[in-house]
Amino acid sequence: MHGQTWPSVATTQASVLASDWRIFTIAGLAVAVLVWGLILFAMARWGRARRTDALPPQFRRNNALEITWTAIPLVIVCALFVYTYHAEADVEALATHPDVRVHVNAYRWGWTFAYTGGPTIDGTAADPPQMLLPLGRTTRIELTTSDVTHAFWVPDFLFKRDAIPGIVNRFDLAPDKVGTFLGRCTQFCGLQHAHMTFTVRVVPPDAFDRWVHGGAS
Amino acid sequence: MSAAAAVVEPPRNDLLSWITTTDHKRIGILYMLTTLGYFAVAGALALVIRTQLARPENSVVGPHEFAQLFTLHGTAMIFLFIAPFAIGLANFLIPLQIGAPDMAFPRLNAMGYWMFLFGGLIVFAGAGTSEGAAAAGWTSYAPLSEIKVSSGIGQDLWIVGVFLVSVATILTAINFVTTAFIYRAPGMTMWRLPIFTWEMIATSLLIFMAFPALAADLLLLFVDRHLGGHAFDPAYGGNAVLWQHLFWFFGHPEVYVMILPYFGVISEIIPVFSRKPIFGYTGLVLAAFAIAGLSMGVWAHHMFTTGAVNNPFFSFMSFLIAVPTGVKFFNWIATMWRGQLTFPTPMLFCMGFLMNFLLGGVTGVMVASPPVDFQAHDSYFVVAHFHYTLGGGSLFAIFAALFFWWPKIFGVKLGETLGKWCFWLLFIGFNVTFLPMHFLGIEGMARRVSTYPALGNLPILNLIATLGSYVMLAGAVVFAVDVIASTLKREPVGDDPWGANSLEWATSSPPPEHNFERLPPIRSERPVFDLRHPELDPEAGR
Repeated sequence: MHGQTWPSVATTQASVLASDWRIFTIAGLAVAVLVWGLILFAMARWGRARRTDALPPQFRRNNALEITWTAIPLVIVCALFVYTYHAEADVEALATHPDVRVHVNAYRWGWTFAYTGGPTIDGTAADPPQMLLPLGRTTRIELTTSDVTHAFWVPDFLFKRDAIPGIVNRFDLAPDKVGTFLGRCTQFCGLQHAHMTFTVRVVPPDAFDRWVHGGAS
Repeated sequence: MSAAAAVVEPPRNDLLSWITTTDHKRIGILYMLTTLGYFAVAGALALVIRTQLARPENSVVGPHEFAQLFTLHGTAMIFLFIAPFAIGLANFLIPLQIGAPDMAFPRLNAMGYWMFLFGGLIVFAGAGTSEGAAAAGWTSYAPLSEIKVSSGIGQDLWIVGVFLVSVATILTAINFVTTAFIYRAPGMTMWRLPIFTWEMIATSLLIFMAFPALAADLLLLFVDRHLGGHAFDPAYGGNAVLWQHLFWFFGHPEVYVMILPYFGVISEIIPVFSRKPIFGYTGLVLAAFAIAGLSMGVWAHHMFTTGAVNNPFFSFMSFLIAVPTGVKFFNWIATMWRGQLTFPTPMLFCMGFLMNFLLGGVTGVMVASPPVDFQAHDSYFVVAHFHYTLGGGSLFAIFAALFFWWPKIFGVKLGETLGKWCFWLLFIGFNVTFLPMHFLGIEGMARRVSTYPALGNLPILNLIATLGSYVMLAGAVVFAVDVIASTLKREPVGDDPWGANSLEWATSSPPPEHNFERLPPIRSERPVFDLRHPELDPEAGR
């Protein structure tokens, strides 16, 4: 959270994710403030009523009211679902011809980043590896694990995906901000889980090309 | 109404009589006291966790100890405290609320308790083995929990202990449903059952469907570990996602097993201290069953980031649960509306429940959206979310229940002054602990990490959370002092110290062994209220 918008983002996919965050945060807080308000109002308004022998009115049930407070939330969650459905489809859409392909393999406790037609980088918890990504291009990540379940998370990308034995998970990243971002494993995987980190460095495309073909950073 | 004490021979009160008891009230008390013991241990473990995380790169405990701490903390809070406390309370209350002399199967009931007690002890016994207790988290994901990776016997003890607890839970649920269906007193129709009993029926039905899946999952893991099975190993045709499916097929209904009983507690207490009937009795009952039904179809919202499930389906089903949950909230508020509200400690804890659980519900809708969950999953945002539901929600309802029913159970009232101190320390401590965790998660702190780097706001937010947890400890200590002080004072209370509604308040405090000397007429869900107000029509407004 260092950017101008909230939450701050570093990929085009993350812009979609960030709007989803904003919509749900605003909708959630609006509902929460309304209901908190009703509770506190009731406490303040009728908490001072003197407790006498006379009972307060013993009313109950009101079909119209009960149908209303069932129907309105139903409409709200349906609208939220339609929005969330499209947002997820946008984020998970895979490019037909990604510019770069990286096979990411997670293991206890480190990461291997194998670039198709390029170098392979490996690093462990003691010496975390760095993934280089080109600015403004689409990179396809193919995610696997060689032992237990791990997860690949870059908080600035607002995105994570699990690395599960027997499964290859694919997703695209299109960075739109130059910089170095911290990534880490988020599925508990044993002793060094806390230190199973990596960094992602986003560089201009020409610098990336020189690195992929020449091996120099 | 009070028992004619001179006529009835007092029950034996020695140790053997408690060990061999089949009295639902004694089993309920044993359950509740045992769960409070497990709660004290699980809470102490949480304090060690928060102490380790107070500062970045801290070394109060090492990573292996840390993994055992959060595994035992989660296991104890979920399997040994929040769910079984409700079972203890229901054991005590259901026969009293429906006017029955005991549960349908008293000996099965006792067996369930002892299986539960020893199941918990077996889980903790792992801490005494050479490789330590289970350390794969309360979710124990395979293949991490397979013998290749987690070779210690602690993991086996965890499997056996949790298995015993799950079987005990199923047995007790059968007992609850049978009792509530066929042991009701004359006049106690289904639509006059107290809401708490209704919620326990819904809970028991969930237990029938969910806990066998857990038991199967545990058995498969045991077969994998010791009998050469490969259920979760794709190299031999197994499937690593299968563990998650079976676990969450149990695990999400379990969330409602841990909250529906407490919705019942809140629904019992708010009308008493509003001096009004519950607003929408039918709506509340239907909402409980709607939540129970929907909760069977949402398990894979714990698996949005696996890439192996149909996210939109599970997302939509999860959103829908917000609707009946909203119905409950609006009914509670409508019950308070134009009432005569008073705020003794049980009611204060109900208000705390409403305030906290609301935020947990809102963040629950947020993480039910897969794009939000892609960031929140397995981060401290989710840790904050479920602690607001189970800690801010269920735990506060447990304290509400303790303060409300303590006089009925033990015949003495807990002190109000210390009770209010207990509430405010827990309420403030809870929010100081868990509110910052939302921001920790968004900023990138993963859950189950034994340490974290000194980056951004991580150190300050973690320090605040740790300070809050010590305030909660102070609240728990005040509760213990209140219990001791009120027990020493032994000021007897009458049958009905609160001016309450349901049938358990029509007998003495504590009730005699056979529960009732005689039953009042039951003409609504508030028989004791009707008795106090014979001038009112019990059916009015229904």
